[in-house]
Amino acid sequence: MTVETDKTIKVGIISCSGEELAVGTISRSAVRRVLEVLRPHDAVTLCLPLFLAGNEGERNFARTHPTITVDGCDKQCARFGTERHGGPVARSLVVSEILADRSTACSRSLRGRTQTDEDATAIVAARIAGEIDSLMSDGARPELEEDLSADVCACMKSVATGAVIVKGRSVEIPALAYIFSDCARQGLQPGDAAGSALLEKAKVFHYIPPEEEDDYAAALNEAYREYLGG
Amino acid sequence: MKNRQDTVLVIPCSGVGKVHGLVSREAAYLAAEELALGKTDIVCLALLVKGDEETLAKVQAHPCITIDGCGKACAQKNVEIAGGEVATAFQVAKTLSRHRGTQPGTGSELTEDGWLVAREIAEAVADEAERRAGGNEVAR
Repeated sequence: MTVETDKTIKVGIISCSGEELAVGTISRSAVRRVLEVLRPHDAVTLCLPLFLAGNEGERNFARTHPTITVDGCDKQCARFGTERHGGPVARSLVVSEILADRSTACSRSLRGRTQTDEDATAIVAARIAGEIDSLMSDGARPELEEDLSADVCACMKSVATGAVIVKGRSVEIPALAYIFSDCARQGLQPGDAAGSALLEKAKVFHYIPPEEEDDYAAALNEAYREYLGG
Repeated sequence: MKNRQDTVLVIPCSGVGKVHGLVSREAAYLAAEELALGKTDIVCLALLVKGDEETLAKVQAHPCITIDGCGKACAQKNVEIAGGEVATAFQVAKTLSRHRGTQPGTGSELTEDGWLVAREIAEAVADEAERRAGGNEVAR
């Protein structure tokens, strides 16, 4: 099994992604643009609803990353939700304040997207990127050391990727190191029970066709045996 | 028991990390703005997460259809935590598993396949909303 781990400190960005208003769509789109285009190596994200639906590991997000919240409106759900469940944020941005009347013609759905939406997204994304640069130049550091064993969503941060051999072909599975370490922590030994547990955890991070589940379970079991040194 | 022949709330997770969240979001818009116009309404999941009183009251007063991207089921769980009734819970990942090989897009853009999957989910949401609006369901 090959494992790559990225422990570089990154800025966390949390958008409200509010569904009721177009500014919520802009908050989401702007964060995506920052992650994909503007600062792909400096930022990570987490879905806001995970703070309540998730566990302690997910709620530690704001403590393990200097965090910027991006809210659509002045209700600032991302900011206050993050602060209530995860601790103080480093920066809080509000799309409606950044754009003022430039957001009035924007669309909630991508089906109705026009140049106005593109321009609005670009403005907000550039502002987020600027705040990231500011935090990085300030030498921002999280309150806590990153806990790689925390049960966190794959979209929250870079995860250690590993490969298993399924029917003779190598398949990359995100978070494989975490999956193995979590099973080992629970005392699971290689075998049928471990195969099922490994499969269920792997399915969270990687699409596994139903008809190939048995093959994946066997491959995961074998890789897990090697991981444990057996 | 009382009949709940009223507006159905559609609540997607809108997960920002993957295409699944975008499919959930666009499926909700397709349902609320086109396929089940007038029978459904969308509320911000973030407002619910924040504990906004008006949103909590709305969720507790109307049947909810949740559309989650993945098995974390954030929308479904948050509606349940808020004391709402989840009439039906959809998961994009389950729908995608029935379309092997489909490339739905990214967290930012949907491909033609992605839009088809979103519409499939939206149609199921609209069917459920129609069933509710027709008074075929009695709240527990």
